[in-house]
Amino acid sequence: MPVQRRDPLIELCGLSKTYEAGGAQIYALRPTDLTVMRGAFLTVMGPSGSGKSTLLNLFGLLMRPTSGVYRLEGRSVSGLNDDATSAVRCRTIGMVFQSFNLLSHLTILENVCVPMQYARLHRSQMRKRAKELLDRFGLEGRYGSRPSQLSGGQCQRVAIARALANDPPMILADEPTGNLDEKTGLEVLEIFQELHRAGKTIIMVTHNPAYRKYATQTLFIHDGSATEK
Amino acid sequence: MNVIELGITVYASLTRHLVRSLLATLGIVLGIAAVVAMLAIGEGGRREALRQIESQGVDNIILRSVKPAEGNTPQSSRSFTQRYGITQRDLDHIQTVFENVRLLVPVMDVRREIYEGQQSTDIEAVATTPDFLEVTRCQLVDRRSRFLKSTDGDILDPVCVAGVKAARRLFGPLDPIGKTVVIGNVSFRVIGLMESPGKGRLGGQFDLNNIVCMPLNTAASLWGGITLRMGRGMAEKVDYDFLYLAAKDISAIPGTSGRLRSYLKSVHTQVDYDVQVPYELLQSARKTQRIFMIVMTSIAAISLLVGGIGIMNIMLANIFERTREIGVRRALGARKRDILLQFLTESVLLTSIGGGLGVGVGIATAAVAETVSRLGGEVGLKAAVTSESLIVALAVSVITGITFGTHPAWKAAQLDPLTALRHE
Repeated sequence: MPVQRRDPLIELCGLSKTYEAGGAQIYALRPTDLTVMRGAFLTVMGPSGSGKSTLLNLFGLLMRPTSGVYRLEGRSVSGLNDDATSAVRCRTIGMVFQSFNLLSHLTILENVCVPMQYARLHRSQMRKRAKELLDRFGLEGRYGSRPSQLSGGQCQRVAIARALANDPPMILADEPTGNLDEKTGLEVLEIFQELHRAGKTIIMVTHNPAYRKYATQTLFIHDGSATEK
Repeated sequence: MNVIELGITVYASLTRHLVRSLLATLGIVLGIAAVVAMLAIGEGGRREALRQIESQGVDNIILRSVKPAEGNTPQSSRSFTQRYGITQRDLDHIQTVFENVRLLVPVMDVRREIYEGQQSTDIEAVATTPDFLEVTRCQLVDRRSRFLKSTDGDILDPVCVAGVKAARRLFGPLDPIGKTVVIGNVSFRVIGLMESPGKGRLGGQFDLNNIVCMPLNTAASLWGGITLRMGRGMAEKVDYDFLYLAAKDISAIPGTSGRLRSYLKSVHTQVDYDVQVPYELLQSARKTQRIFMIVMTSIAAISLLVGGIGIMNIMLANIFERTREIGVRRALGARKRDILLQFLTESVLLTSIGGGLGVGVGIATAAVAETVSRLGGEVGLKAAVTSESLIVALAVSVITGITFGTHPAWKAAQLDPLTALRHE
């Protein structure tokens, strides 16, 4: 097992997100303090509409917080401009979505190459890395397949390979097993556990309490309030 | 994203809906095709006009005798000879007074039939002076050829120079040098073969390659001034049918032609002459060309505006349809400028493909128009596709792509990543 550096990867200080609705301010996420250490496996749980996805989108820099500070690898990232935010998303964060979000007109090899294109890697380097990742997740020989030719589990494995393309320290997964049957869901969970063992920080939103056992840290969110357990 | 990756990404996006992509370019294809075809036909016409004008000699002024309309001729009822056109007096006056004239070459249509065997031909026999070759830009063809000399006026040994077409008609594949041509009832020995490389026409009338030239003195000695019998006792007499004035300098042409017109107006009681100034025609052709270019540019602009709006429309629809893709790309690290560049490149590639197809269709259309116009056997349209017009056509398609692709691409780049990701 690789040696894990136990420094904080994520630090939230009073991070909140509010929406305006009918003149009233509604908290999607109440001011939250949280530290996620490098190499942690954090599951975010809670009922629908509680603010789980809001938190994940804040982690993924897909939305800006209303207040508070978000430090990633020791650097405040909540006030970065668009280019800098994109650079962080490209190199530091890998995202896995419930509905896979693979680009249907591209082959799975090309899908895995997308984040590396934005990291301006050389073409041969990209393809080599993409093939390695696909091989690692049991998709060798399927490089030329389109997402529509794969099963749900295979698609999610491609999505995970894509999230790992630029070797980011952190993987954000939004209900990655939500569209999969139980058996396939468990296979995907195994992959995340394996990534965690390899030193990746995993943050996973899930409804399934059974997955808590994989986590080193769990955050419950209810009505926008986050509680660590 | 580097250029190669950008190209691959754009190619994958466009081939995703190949038919739609090609249909989107249709407006551009038709616009560019119309422009290329019209430019080719216009350029062909312009070149032909310029060639004809230049073949007459840009530094020449050509005077032509014109038979006045019936009833306008002041004729003596006693003499039944109608006189008109350029006279010896005109020639003498111009020779004496017009100091800017370098060469003065009179040409007389001898109005005598030339026979090929027993059959009369359409070959024109003209009498002129040695400088004829220079003012008409004709060249001698055979090494043994020579043109008329001032000493060639011997009626005992009449000589002539034949145009290449006339010689072919009269002698077929045989060597025409030294052969005899019968003009009227007189035999002439062919001493030279000449050719007008620009297929010029004598005074804009006779094909220079289809004439036979003889010395002016010989014609005068033989026929004593050319008189043509018209029947019913009427005859007409013209001293010279054409008079070529070669100016010392091209800049002297406008002044000289003005003076010439004033002189002729003062001397001739009727308009029995015509002054052709190729230089003026050239200027006029250039002006026409400018107007043509303005019209073409306007047509091109309208066509491309329509095509460009089509492209913008398709791109906006594309972006709406691919909003989620934009969100995914942004979530995976694409910057706004990456998205902008991707969609702008798609738009430019679409219009460039349209431009390329349009150039092909345009060239084909021009070729078809040229062929169809010649079906009747007459001289038809001439198309000339220039490399400049192709470069302009392709550049315009790229500019159209940039112009009409910028707004959709900018709109795509401005999409909020999260909103785009949630787009159904």
